[in-house]
Amino acid sequence: MSDDNLLVVKDLTTTFKTSGGDLTAVNHVSFDLARNETLGIVGESGSGKTVLSRTIMGLQPRINTTVSGSSILDGFQVVGASEDDKRSIWGTEVAMVFQDPMTSLNPVMKIGKQIDEALRVRLGMNRQDAKARAIELLELVGIPSPVQRYSAYPGQLSGGMRQRVVIAIALACSPKLLMADEPTTGLDVTIQAQILNLLDELKERLKMSVILVTHDLGVVATRTSRIVVMYAGRVVETGTTRDVFYHHRMPYTRALLESSPKVSNKSHTRLVTIPGRPPNLLNLSPGCSFAPRCKYATDRCHSERPELQPSIEAGHSFACWNPLPVNAEATLP
Amino acid sequence: MSSYSPENLSLAESVLMGVKEEPGEPLGLFFWICVGWVGLNIFGAIFANVLPLQNPLYGNFNLINAAPSLHHLFGTDDLGRDIFARVVYGARVSITVGLGSILIGYGIGAPLGMLAAYRRGRFDAILTGFMYLLLAFPAIIATIAILSFWSPRSLFKIIVVIGIASIPLVYRVIRTATLSVATKDYVIAAKVQGATDRRILMKELLPNIAPIALSFFLIGVATIIILEGALAFLGLSVNPPTPSWGNMINEARGVLSQNPWLALFPSLALCFFLIALNFIGDRIRAHFDVTEVKL
Repeated sequence: MSDDNLLVVKDLTTTFKTSGGDLTAVNHVSFDLARNETLGIVGESGSGKTVLSRTIMGLQPRINTTVSGSSILDGFQVVGASEDDKRSIWGTEVAMVFQDPMTSLNPVMKIGKQIDEALRVRLGMNRQDAKARAIELLELVGIPSPVQRYSAYPGQLSGGMRQRVVIAIALACSPKLLMADEPTTGLDVTIQAQILNLLDELKERLKMSVILVTHDLGVVATRTSRIVVMYAGRVVETGTTRDVFYHHRMPYTRALLESSPKVSNKSHTRLVTIPGRPPNLLNLSPGCSFAPRCKYATDRCHSERPELQPSIEAGHSFACWNPLPVNAEATLP
Repeated sequence: MSSYSPENLSLAESVLMGVKEEPGEPLGLFFWICVGWVGLNIFGAIFANVLPLQNPLYGNFNLINAAPSLHHLFGTDDLGRDIFARVVYGARVSITVGLGSILIGYGIGAPLGMLAAYRRGRFDAILTGFMYLLLAFPAIIATIAILSFWSPRSLFKIIVVIGIASIPLVYRVIRTATLSVATKDYVIAAKVQGATDRRILMKELLPNIAPIALSFFLIGVATIIILEGALAFLGLSVNPPTPSWGNMINEARGVLSQNPWLALFPSLALCFFLIALNFIGDRIRAHFDVTEVKL
């Protein structure tokens, strides 16, 4: 089992020292990821998705941050590794696609050069080979006339094109894991599907694993095999995409699903929202962090924190004292 | 889209060739007039001894405090020396001090500022604290004090003292500029591609702070030329009879009523040079401020 897993995350905890006290952005998160699998990490803003995805790769801020637990990527323990050691896996083992393609490309460097960099420095290619390979990569991510685009500046490309370039850069050293942190949030709706399809296609073609971090359940619904639902830095439900969508037990997951608009809704249907706000991570209650917003909450929910417990399906677990009944089949997309 | 791909020019190339990079603000004709003026001043300063100028140190006692004429374009001073020649030679001291000092300031302040902003943590805290301590101490008083006691005065010492005084200012500007770039996603992107710190500093951060650095450089030169003028006015710059714009104005003070030309021309030279530098610095900043295209 563990040989198959590209990534094994166990009890990963990230704590920031802030002026208001210690803030635990990621709290004892455990999951694993098989090779050539796509995993979705979903949650509201501030649920710790981004910090989690960065901590997994060892990209947490250098100062005022403590990380404990373990994150083993293809046999390499990321937690506690030195910058130099981590540099050896960055690019080749794991690469990242960022949220906003407007800020994730260096505005004063030609896009070709930005792809070249990695190839020349990491793979030791010479100038011609690197250029040829860079053009190949541009073509791979679907950029028209890659030879001309090679010497374009990011400012000369549209958002969707830039995101393709960002993906090309990430793919330069053929990473085994591609971390896509909200890869479509900064894009027009019409471009989002294109980019997601591209990621899907590349994953199959290059035999990568992908972690798709998003707040948009529509994004993960058809493209991931498993989903991790996060709330206030903890995993509150995890399972196959099907189980999470159709057999979820945690009321938070239900609330998230309900609050995404559906085509089947009648027009002028009021969108369901989750009342309240995500909790302040600086003073969490001893109970379930979702309790204050949960309509099923009981006294126990406020005083005692539920741990992840298995549901009836294999690999499906949830953290809740008053789970939804097993057959709470929802009418969802 | 293909309509704007052919300009494959670097920033430097496009500045030199006047090619309009993406939107930004156009540089405009006045920018190039200013560049020409600064160039002319520097040319004059470098080639003053080759140009057909009169000897700036030779005093013609038969013709003191003369008004401008064909023979003495700017007139003569109270010792009968040609003011035009002295203004041109004066540019030497002023520009040398201005450029030399700011180069020292950048040589030390800029790398430290970039490093501090990139590394953060204790290194940054200690260094920034120290620099703010230096900033809190009035630089002009320190400069005057050191120059009064460090004799004999020479151009070199003046440059060193002003240069050191400018380090914290440069440090602060460069650190702030770097801070705003260092947290951008593309820096993290470079990092996760396995780029070393050195590479990130040189290839990601440096080119992106270059416009701000360049514009502050020019404004710094202008400020230091004024400082040199102030020091010269107090008699703390190069020793007479070597002319600098500052000490010419100082010497003119005594004969202001008899010979206003003597104060006017070095003041004008100083003034125009500074205006040109400031304008160039400001234009460059505005021109390259917009690094993103508004699609």
